[in-house]
Amino acid sequence: MSLRNNSSDTTHSASGLSSQWTKILWFVWILLLVAGLVGLVMRLTQGHNLTGYGSYVPWGLWIGVYFLGVGISGGSFILGSLGYLFDIKGFSKPSDLRCALVLSLAGLLPAFLGVWLDLGRMDRLMNIIIHPSFTSMMAFNAWMYNIFLVVAVLCWLLSFKQNSSWLKPLLALGVFFSILFPSQSGVFFEAVRTNEFWRSPLLSMLFLVSAITLGAASLLFVKSATAPHTNSRTDESDLDSALRVLRAITLVGLIVYVMFEFAEFSITMWNPGTHSPNTEFLLFGPYWPVFWILHIGIGVVVPFILLSGPSRGGWIFASLLAIIGFGAARLCVLVPGQVAGQIPGLAQAFQDPRLSYVYHITTMEYLVAFLMIAVGMTIFYIGDKLNQVIESRL
Amino acid sequence: MKKVSEIMERREFILAGGLIGAGAVAAGAVTLGARLEKVPKDPTGEKTVRNITTLKDLKPQHNEDDHIRMQRELAGAMSKPLEKRRWIMVIDVRKCVGCLACTVGCIAENKLPPGVVYRPVIQTETGEYPNVRLSFLPRPCMHCENPSCITVCPVKATWKRPDGVVVIDYDKCIGCRYCLNACPYAARTSDFGKYYTSGEAQGAPEGKERPIYGSPAPWEGLPSNEYGKLWSRKDHGSPVGNARKCHFCLHRLEKGLLPMCVSTCIGRATYFGDSNDPDSLVVELVTKNNVQTLLPHWDNKPNCYYIV
Repeated sequence: MSLRNNSSDTTHSASGLSSQWTKILWFVWILLLVAGLVGLVMRLTQGHNLTGYGSYVPWGLWIGVYFLGVGISGGSFILGSLGYLFDIKGFSKPSDLRCALVLSLAGLLPAFLGVWLDLGRMDRLMNIIIHPSFTSMMAFNAWMYNIFLVVAVLCWLLSFKQNSSWLKPLLALGVFFSILFPSQSGVFFEAVRTNEFWRSPLLSMLFLVSAITLGAASLLFVKSATAPHTNSRTDESDLDSALRVLRAITLVGLIVYVMFEFAEFSITMWNPGTHSPNTEFLLFGPYWPVFWILHIGIGVVVPFILLSGPSRGGWIFASLLAIIGFGAARLCVLVPGQVAGQIPGLAQAFQDPRLSYVYHITTMEYLVAFLMIAVGMTIFYIGDKLNQVIESRL
Repeated sequence: MKKVSEIMERREFILAGGLIGAGAVAAGAVTLGARLEKVPKDPTGEKTVRNITTLKDLKPQHNEDDHIRMQRELAGAMSKPLEKRRWIMVIDVRKCVGCLACTVGCIAENKLPPGVVYRPVIQTETGEYPNVRLSFLPRPCMHCENPSCITVCPVKATWKRPDGVVVIDYDKCIGCRYCLNACPYAARTSDFGKYYTSGEAQGAPEGKERPIYGSPAPWEGLPSNEYGKLWSRKDHGSPVGNARKCHFCLHRLEKGLLPMCVSTCIGRATYFGDSNDPDSLVVELVTKNNVQTLLPHWDNKPNCYYIV
């Protein structure tokens, strides 16, 4: 949220947001935080009683936002690190790297918060680290994320050191992890071998592509938004180059994601199998607005049009929409995979709101999701401020 | 843009390769190790032998009640070490009348809260009036030979015992609900901490055994005996927040009692016994009838058979 406008940079349209937009973002942040804290209190006092998920649809919005955060984290690390390692213009300075690393942490930490609040036994969170079973992708992911977290923090610290011989090797390791864990997020679902909708190797690729695209879109947004202070050390052409690269990656990523999605769904369309009820639910059933309007319309088509244009303001807006669209895309994987029970009549056999294949996101779930976003924004803001303070003392 | 050889110095390159290689090897090793690991160890051997005296002196009789026979066979099975038993359930759907006595009996036995059910009975109506047929399908946990719920557990909180029963350690389960998604039979439900009487009788005069001001009635705080331990849900105690499922009433088996759903079945449609005993009723039923399992294509190999 380091969105201060700098009058010296106003000549460049990409140089940060105007003070009006900065105020709006501050207002949005306060709104999200307050609403989120209300949600947190509701979650801590009411438990899971106010959530919409149950035993037949066990995972809801928070898990979707969790995978969104993980995608942003992995993607921004991959792009920031590779850009730094390969000395790509606009990514080659330590300050560029730090921006990506802080964004990576700002994506990952709120994801942890969401999954923690989703647990039935929040008090046993650490069991997954202390007593893991690596036959489970969840334990594998948890360990990988935590190692990645340590690597990312170390990279951030080392980025302040002149000529550290450990920075590049650690960045390479971080890239290895950040390529691995978005694809492993796909395996998280694929590993449920009894779910035809999720049991597709394409999911790994979808999650990896979405992570890289999310990373590009998020970096595009924050690089534009934080331009005033970085611009004091980076010339405009560097920023311009970075934004063009990120815009191209976002554009290509959106196309590739939709292509993979089409490949996945076309199987169902032309060869209906056991997972066709899930696909029909998603494309033509109750979930069609999430898929067609939020994911495809707002998340792909509009950003594609805006990113194809020359307006930098349009690019920033497009990057935000792409992030929202990928949030919807996460739900398009998560929810349809849970709504089609395999034993007909089971939901009617024993009546209870928790024993239903219908899932509607509740107010409390939205509020907690807002908290996750607000925490992410806060971490980025603090990280960015720290970058500025430390850089000014070097 | 630099060439790859210009990105890092030789030392950095070796270090990066070492770190990535070590990471990959470590990941492979722990995953392989987890696959090979047998966790956790259940008690086996002589200490698991139970001397059940119920019906000890009753000789087998011609045309005896199936329950009497199963009870006697249960005592016989319990006289063997745990690893020598292999429990299975057989459900004759032709005899099931859909009375839900098993469902209710299970709820009472295990003190199940709202939203938690181990044995729902699925009712299916086929045909059109007047040629209508109702059929009933009780659905306990299948205690699969190849359970899909176990490998996904991130904390080793669920496993298959040597006697074939798939169990959950409520003290270990973190409530991630991964296993709920992995079970194709939806046999696992999450305990969301609800109470039947919570919110009821608000403002009612205070009195013993009555819910006051929306708090649950005291009887809802009584502990259940699942897995032979006392589990109190008071103050968010486990199994609140945990995954829960049918466990073939292990605590009753230990006392020589049949699972509650078997005992309460008024139509004698549910059978239970040791498949390692070739003379047992369950083996007889499986071998002499047309039996099916649910969703066999997933290769879970359920240990609950349906006579159709």
